[in-house]
Amino acid sequence: MPVQKGFVLQAIELTKNYSSVPAVQNVTFELRAGEILGCLGPNGSGKSTTVKMLTGLLQPSHGRVLFRGEDIRKDLVSYRKYLGYVPEEPNLYPYLSGREYLEMVGILRGIPEPRLGKRIDSLLTLLSLYPSRHSAMAAYSKGMRQRILLIAALLDDPELLILDEPLSGLDVSSALILKSLIRSLGGQGKAVFYCSHVLEVVERVCSHLLILRRGSVLASGSIADVRQRIGHSSLERAFHHLVEDVDPEQVTRDIIAAMSAP
Amino acid sequence: MSRKASFADRRDALVRRPFPLLVALSMSRIFHGSNAGEEEMNLSMGVVLALLALPGGFVSIFLFDKYGSLLQWLRGESGFDPLAAAFPDEYFFIVLSMVVTAGVAVWWWDSIFPDRRDFATLVPLPLPLSRIFLANAVAIVILTCLFALDVNAASSLLFPVVVGASQTRVEFILQFAFAHAVAVLLASIFSFFAVFAIAGLLMLLLPSTLFRRISLYVRTLLVTVLLLMLSSSFAVPSLILPLPHGSRSVLRFLPPAWFLGLCQWLRGRAGGALIDLAHTAVLALIVASVTAVAAYALSYRRCFIRLPEIADIPHGHLGTGSRWIFRALDGIFLRTPLQRAGYRFVWKTLLRNETHALMLGGFAGLGAVLASQTLFSAFSPSGPAPSLTADTLSVPLTLSYCVLIGIRFVFDVPAHHPANWIFRFSPAGGISETPGLALRVMLSSTLPWIFLVVFPMAFHFWGWRVALLGTILTTIWVVTLSEILLIRFGKLPFACRYPAFRHSAVVVVLACVLGYFAFAGVTSEVEVAAIASPVAALPLVVLSLGVGYAAHRIRRKSMHSDERMLFESEPDASFAVLHLSDGN
Repeated sequence: MPVQKGFVLQAIELTKNYSSVPAVQNVTFELRAGEILGCLGPNGSGKSTTVKMLTGLLQPSHGRVLFRGEDIRKDLVSYRKYLGYVPEEPNLYPYLSGREYLEMVGILRGIPEPRLGKRIDSLLTLLSLYPSRHSAMAAYSKGMRQRILLIAALLDDPELLILDEPLSGLDVSSALILKSLIRSLGGQGKAVFYCSHVLEVVERVCSHLLILRRGSVLASGSIADVRQRIGHSSLERAFHHLVEDVDPEQVTRDIIAAMSAP
Repeated sequence: MSRKASFADRRDALVRRPFPLLVALSMSRIFHGSNAGEEEMNLSMGVVLALLALPGGFVSIFLFDKYGSLLQWLRGESGFDPLAAAFPDEYFFIVLSMVVTAGVAVWWWDSIFPDRRDFATLVPLPLPLSRIFLANAVAIVILTCLFALDVNAASSLLFPVVVGASQTRVEFILQFAFAHAVAVLLASIFSFFAVFAIAGLLMLLLPSTLFRRISLYVRTLLVTVLLLMLSSSFAVPSLILPLPHGSRSVLRFLPPAWFLGLCQWLRGRAGGALIDLAHTAVLALIVASVTAVAAYALSYRRCFIRLPEIADIPHGHLGTGSRWIFRALDGIFLRTPLQRAGYRFVWKTLLRNETHALMLGGFAGLGAVLASQTLFSAFSPSGPAPSLTADTLSVPLTLSYCVLIGIRFVFDVPAHHPANWIFRFSPAGGISETPGLALRVMLSSTLPWIFLVVFPMAFHFWGWRVALLGTILTTIWVVTLSEILLIRFGKLPFACRYPAFRHSAVVVVLACVLGYFAFAGVTSEVEVAAIASPVAALPLVVLSLGVGYAAHRIRRKSMHSDERMLFESEPDASFAVLHLSDGN
């Protein structure tokens, strides 16, 4: 696939093998400024591996990731200046307080001191973490940790946001804020790659869709296009039609039988 | 005040710059460990530094009795040579500094290298990997120097003053202090780098999954070696002194002996093999440092960068090969569902959880060291069989004592406390079940090797009568000790938050030491008497059974069967309201 101008992020035939076992095969897509691309797929479909390759945490076995037309591997440090990333697992230092962690991220990102402090405080307040900013993160709930990760990703006003299950553990109001925030960021011209299991959220938030199954792209394009192509009005039905090769009702019956088996 | 404030401001300003911040973060991670905040056993840096500094200070003060001029005069000693007298003590201090520093390095084995959390936090940031690598290396060097200084500070100040108590010249104390400080500091640095080099080389040479699986056992082995080194520190100096130049003695492989040679060389009193040992010390320090740095650099490249591709396998994972053992035990002595589930949980925690396995390994290693010393002294070079003495018979008792005390100690150390909900929801949860479960764990950690190893060996050396009687008595004493240790034990092992020993640590340690002499010393004398006089054996066996039964009754009486298990024990209050106005 040729390199094209105008894209913020391009994945070109991304492939990753773990000891010759393919986890991701020939994944190709583009993301423009202002687009919100939802990545859907069942467990083990290669979503997290794709995200790790997009962030440069994992080197692809084959293929390239381009940021503004340049291979990210050429200068990962510069690429990450424009990148905000929320990982799937909230791997935080439990002995640091929320504010200390954000200060550390800000200093390592090179954000100047007065601006950093103000930005941290306002984001902590907006995401309801200000009262517990000095508590050790060991005492934080999963949702609080997730919000800290989100603030860390937004701290440097990134051009590209990669979010891996960002709603995990969030309460209803925080989830509503985040969904609205993602849409607004898209409106401001940021490019967002949003990875999730939750079809309903992807349908509401994202403008485009990438469906993965067993490491390969099953469908991609705008949500309306995908629905139309599959011939289903709801995304859930379209997704099920594409991805699931099991009968949920049959599996339910089998589980109940297994629970009461002698 | 203003000077203090400006120092704090400068320090804060320094740590707010990217590279010093990364160094501080690495130091914090190494110090707190990979499971920081998730385990309940974390101590602050100040407490750890104080604890590490204590042994050197205490030992120095205890030695004042040996070197004080007034005390020598009162004893009528003349021609006292403080340097000659300090030779064995110097060796002890070197061993102490090496054991403490290497012990710290073994404890922080996993945190020396950046972990998954560092990877997840730091790598997505716009930082070159080389800067993360360099910051971690600087943190290691700073912590090594800090701990080497801390462990040896008290002895470097106090020991020269104590040794120089009978001297009139200040130069003597200064020269002595210089040689002592250099030797113990370099010994500390060597031991830290040696452990670091072993970790780095294993990481570099072994597949990552195998490294994760065996590293717990390697660490336990290292702890045992360190304990062996410490326990032999009183015997070795007298063997080193007469060694000639170019000696081929095995003592030349002992790392503390190298630094003793260096110390003596700095004092200008090295002769014979001590000069060779001093040269070895310098060479060993260089080799350990270079190997550690090279292994670190190469394994960093190999392991850290590939971290997302490596599965997170727990330490000492046994796989599924142990299932048949549990199935066999279910049919024999695990009767209730809680016992079956709890027994599996306890053993898997003991073998896989880093903190518990290391602590138990330390106790078992101590037992192995004490038992091996007794065993070696029992074998005479002329005869093939060890003599039948109380010392020889105390070997299995010593080992059993250390293992049982170790297991009882680690039962109180929580293993990821929030996970205990699974036991709380269990319908079986009577308090009467917990000592039974704990007793089964303790007995199955000792009795199998008493029956399968000690009995055949005793039979081989001394015949069936000694073997049978010795095994019966040892079994009775092991069961009795286990029963005593479990009096008022109302918890499921590892599932309770607050370790009971925290408030009474000194009393517990004293009781353990006294208990050792009673258990391994007195009972082995009883065994010898029983073996010597078959007529006296029967009442002794009956008496031992009676003691065991009494302990069993006391343990059962201390529990009320209708109570629930403890899951949330809290510390004793530091004060109590006396209600003096009640008038009752």
